[in-house]
Amino acid sequence: MSLSERLLVARLVKRDEEAFNEVVRQHGDRVFNLVLRMVGSRAEAEDIAQEVFVTVFKSIDSFRSEAKLSTWLLRIATNHAKNRIKYLARRREQGSEPGGADSGDLADEGKAPAQSQIHGPDVLLEAAETEDIMQQAIATLEEDQRLLVVLRDVEELSYEEIVEITGLPEGTVKSRLHRARMTLKQLLEDKFK
Amino acid sequence: MDSFSAYLEGGLAPEAKASVEHHLSSCIQCRTSLERFRRTLGGLGRLKGTAAPNSFLADIQQQINRRSRGRFFRRRWLLFGRIPFEWLSLAMIVAMLVYYLVMLQSSPTGVKPIP
Repeated sequence: MSLSERLLVARLVKRDEEAFNEVVRQHGDRVFNLVLRMVGSRAEAEDIAQEVFVTVFKSIDSFRSEAKLSTWLLRIATNHAKNRIKYLARRREQGSEPGGADSGDLADEGKAPAQSQIHGPDVLLEAAETEDIMQQAIATLEEDQRLLVVLRDVEELSYEEIVEITGLPEGTVKSRLHRARMTLKQLLEDKFK
Repeated sequence: MDSFSAYLEGGLAPEAKASVEHHLSSCIQCRTSLERFRRTLGGLGRLKGTAAPNSFLADIQQQINRRSRGRFFRRRWLLFGRIPFEWLSLAMIVAMLVYYLVMLQSSPTGVKPIP
């Protein structure tokens, strides 16, 4: 952990509000994106990501400084996302919730304004469709596999960080990730057949 | 096929890597499969990051304020996120000027000395 991060954590422990704002500004987008890819719904992701930072504010005393703050944050985000997925699945089983993550939310994200200025509409549409298909494919993976794909292939974290976040041995991470990638490859092949 | 991930991420020992490459050079099926695998990973890497909503920080502050019963992130009278000292100073100067002018107007002008 860098010196500046140590200082930031020390201020967080004292419940320095400006230090907390800095943490949200630094890590907010990454936490939100991870959770969004996990749950597939923007509304749920907003709620979970907020909860992650409330937990950080409350539990900063339990942060052990041998880990990176970002890794600790992503571990909290992962746990919150997993719990929410379980909760939503239970609700769906009980029939009180219409099924499926609303991937429509994520489909809207595929159309970046900057891209639309560069590419023609066909290319843009194709990119959005591909992203949409990719997100749908991710959503069909088992929760553990989905997490590994998001952490490694979307967020591009190192295996060391993934081991710290998930608590799984590196070999297990690698073999599960490989299976997840093969499943995705198969799903995409079927989709484009 | 089990080696695809390790092969693409450079995680194979030199002998294993050479063995995979030797097999790929003679097996079109595995070459095609590897190419599709590579494209799948490429597609994942191209998924765009989504920014948190604009109100994200304010919403979290509000939550903490509510849950801490107002102990943290108290709402203050802020302009652009801070106390506007320059505006406060200007307002004080204007108020003092007005007070001075009012006092000047109301002070007796034609005071005659007491005989």
